[in-house]
Amino acid sequence: MAGDLHIGSARTRTVSFRFDGEALTAREGETLAAALYAQGRRTLRISRDDGGPRGAFCFMGVCQECVVAIDGRLTEACRTPVREGLVVESVR
Amino acid sequence: MSALYDLAVIGGGILGGAAACRAAEGGMRTIVLEQQTLGSGASGVNAGTLSLQIKRVKLMPYAIKGHELWEQAGERVGFHKTGGITLAFNQREAELLHERMALKREAGAPIQLITPARVAELEPNLSRKVVAASWCAQDGYANASLSGAYYRTLLDAAGVDIRERTPVTAIDRSGGAFQLATPAGTIRATRLLLACGAWLKGAGALLGLDLPVRARVNTVSVTERGPALVGTVIGHATGLLTLKQKPNGSVLIGGGWQGTGSPDEGRSSVDPATLLPNLRLAMFAVPGLDRFRVVRSWTGFEANVPDFYPLAGAAPGIDNAFLLGCVRGGYTIGPYIGALMGDLILGREPELPLFDPGRFATTAAAA
Amino acid sequence: MSDYDLIVLGAGPAGAAAAIKARRLGLRVAVIDEAPAAGGQVYRAPSPALTIARPDADRAKGDDVRARLAASGTVLYANHRVWSLTPGFSVISIGPDGPLTLEASNLIVAAGAIERHIPVSGWTLPGVIGVAGATVLLKAHGVLPGRRVVVAGSGPLLLLVASKIIAAGGEVAAVVDAAPRTGWLARAGAMLARPDLMAKGSGWLLALLKARVPIHSGAAIRAIHGTDGVESVTIGRVDRDWRPVGAAERRVPADAVCLGFGLLPSTEVTRLLGAEHRYEPELGGWIPAVDASLQTSVPGLFVAGDGAGVRGADAAPLSGELAALGVISRLGRGGDLAGEATKIEAEWHKSGRFGGAMSALAVPPPAAAAMIAAGTTVCRCEGLSRAALDAAIVAGARTLADLKATTRCGMGPCGGRVCGEAAAMLIAVATGWDREAIGQPSARPPLRPVPLAAITGAFDYDDLPIPAPAPL
Repeated sequence: MAGDLHIGSARTRTVSFRFDGEALTAREGETLAAALYAQGRRTLRISRDDGGPRGAFCFMGVCQECVVAIDGRLTEACRTPVREGLVVESVR
Repeated sequence: MSALYDLAVIGGGILGGAAACRAAEGGMRTIVLEQQTLGSGASGVNAGTLSLQIKRVKLMPYAIKGHELWEQAGERVGFHKTGGITLAFNQREAELLHERMALKREAGAPIQLITPARVAELEPNLSRKVVAASWCAQDGYANASLSGAYYRTLLDAAGVDIRERTPVTAIDRSGGAFQLATPAGTIRATRLLLACGAWLKGAGALLGLDLPVRARVNTVSVTERGPALVGTVIGHATGLLTLKQKPNGSVLIGGGWQGTGSPDEGRSSVDPATLLPNLRLAMFAVPGLDRFRVVRSWTGFEANVPDFYPLAGAAPGIDNAFLLGCVRGGYTIGPYIGALMGDLILGREPELPLFDPGRFATTAAAA
Repeated sequence: MSDYDLIVLGAGPAGAAAAIKARRLGLRVAVIDEAPAAGGQVYRAPSPALTIARPDADRAKGDDVRARLAASGTVLYANHRVWSLTPGFSVISIGPDGPLTLEASNLIVAAGAIERHIPVSGWTLPGVIGVAGATVLLKAHGVLPGRRVVVAGSGPLLLLVASKIIAAGGEVAAVVDAAPRTGWLARAGAMLARPDLMAKGSGWLLALLKARVPIHSGAAIRAIHGTDGVESVTIGRVDRDWRPVGAAERRVPADAVCLGFGLLPSTEVTRLLGAEHRYEPELGGWIPAVDASLQTSVPGLFVAGDGAGVRGADAAPLSGELAALGVISRLGRGGDLAGEATKIEAEWHKSGRFGGAMSALAVPPPAAAAMIAAGTTVCRCEGLSRAALDAAIVAGARTLADLKATTRCGMGPCGGRVCGEAAAMLIAVATGWDREAIGQPSARPPLRPVPLAAITGAFDYDDLPIPAPAPL
């Protein structure tokens, strides 16, 4: 899947964050799940059960599929606004 | 006229299931009546801790035998022998630990005191604030939520009839046999065992017995799956913490903190006011839990009588009726003491003595 | 004494209307919502990052709700996740500044709905998202679900999302609705009661026809294919009971799938507090039993909006006002409001009839479980396939509680909110049991996963209220 899925222009400044070591940017204030999804980083973790990729599913804090680790703590990416300097790791 | 059973057991938990299996194996035509589903009460919702370190001294021989039975059940009940560590974080707790573990060791549990340095070797992720600790290699856990499915298999194999969602609403013993009224019709049996946990008081009342049974409301919490933190069963000198991490990475936290509700109300609930210190104690013992999320806390009833020893024996003043319940550490001890009860009902001498309910005044009314 | 007479859970259209009404009649009202701003799912506020050139009607309604709630004098606790409640009522939450407990003797639960899912092969691939999730991406973030999207499941929300994707410049490869086209006709009576809303639905349809989007009714996804994400989707017909028939008919290249089978009332709060519930398939499934003022069997506990039965966004504010009047009357305040309540109730029934009919279009017949292949993952949290659940059902599991005990289905972090409905369908088709007997997933605190550190906070060991040790 190519390109950025954002439509319209950003109203806020661009912030930098890291996901599994990769330097990425996002629009300040959007959720981590939306920011990663929009730029094609759709695999957020690898299932412990079947080894398959998993990504955000419900985007509303129900399904827990978008859980990532921020400072080692498990957090739903869909409820976490991206901030400058955020360091995000996938959960395996 | 419906069939006449040799034995009807009210209560489809571990105690009732084990007693029914033994009676059926001894040749009795047996039926189990369960108001919900097998293992849906305390048998299924407790924390599954199989720790000799938290058993009462006088019950230790029973706990050791029960532990062996769970070990034999093995994978079918998710049995794991991991060893267990009990922790003390201050001098007062250390004294309690020393005093209690010495007596439990005398009673047959292979418990030894270990140094904080040894604790750190065994479990590097435990708090470094441990001042004293004990270790028992026998300790471990099983998966309590499998109790119902496990006993279903055993009861089926023993040829016991099972009626679930079948509450007993009245007991008539005028015709020489017990006639048990249920929404699905009357069940008749020559012998009756009440083994219905926290509902023992209500069932006893159907026989005209006023049993001094009360119910505690124990709280258990579980986290989502996370990285490996601990491999053994972790306890606290006061008994107010049990903690273990399952092979899938989820951490189970118990310790008998009290929720709200009662069997009469039909439900119990987690009390945030006791959940908080329960979780704080867990966090203090295993600081790495700060990376975990709790996904569920729940409660279950644990019945007891004033001396906190079991009710296990003949019902006072009522021929052919028996009582079994209020076993502290009932998950560990249940399979064994249930079988002893089956022996008593079969007219055999139990391997270890039971606990005569007649020690309490129960005012059996003429019925 | 508590600071509030009433706590409203949820700041969507129902909760906001309830709060505004109660405040206007003199009550001290707190509103709690887990989102950063009021509006709920349907009127979800855009993220601060988003500029939308031409706000649509939903956006305008949402802005209106937010403005009126802000001006009402109620206290909004946004970004607060409620994780437990106790009778009477304490509402225990965690917000940006840590734990918060609010107390009031009246509670209106306006928690909305969650999505109903029927698992299909490949639905765990990244790029497969809920239909409701797609609306969050579009409304709150201005993000397309994909460049070329298949929208599948059942019910009118499919058309809504597909039309929003097109309006945002995306391509919809196909709309796949398991409900037969005749389903719409069967409910035409109720729909004609609201020609304005019919026109809205026709508008969505028109946009899709104009964009030449293939719309397959009486069809379902057979499998979603891909390695690291969605690559293509195979589609085949289903019969009247939504059972797949014949071979898959087409394979459609796509980079995303929006999947959803209508909405389920969110009842975990009323279940946790011990209210009675009944199973009402046309209203989305399990709903709290209520009286005319929307009070549940627990005194002081009221419900409003889709959580009381899925009737849609237009009926929601009316139910909120009705519940608010119920609270006022319970408190013996506000004079004679019976006339007003009767009027609102009548309007609510009229509006709810349309919304309910729309919602009912999405409800799967029990046989729809045939869509779930043996190897398909049903419980995503615990990695359980249909075959694993079927084996447990054969071994004796008859309720969701049994299934949880023996397989861990629903025991993971989602708490059965994603898989519970499918698991119940599997038990129903295998046993013929009705849904009342199969039961609901149990509601236990925390209602959502909560970080241990957030609950425990900072503490001194010596301050722990450790009771006397158990008898030796």
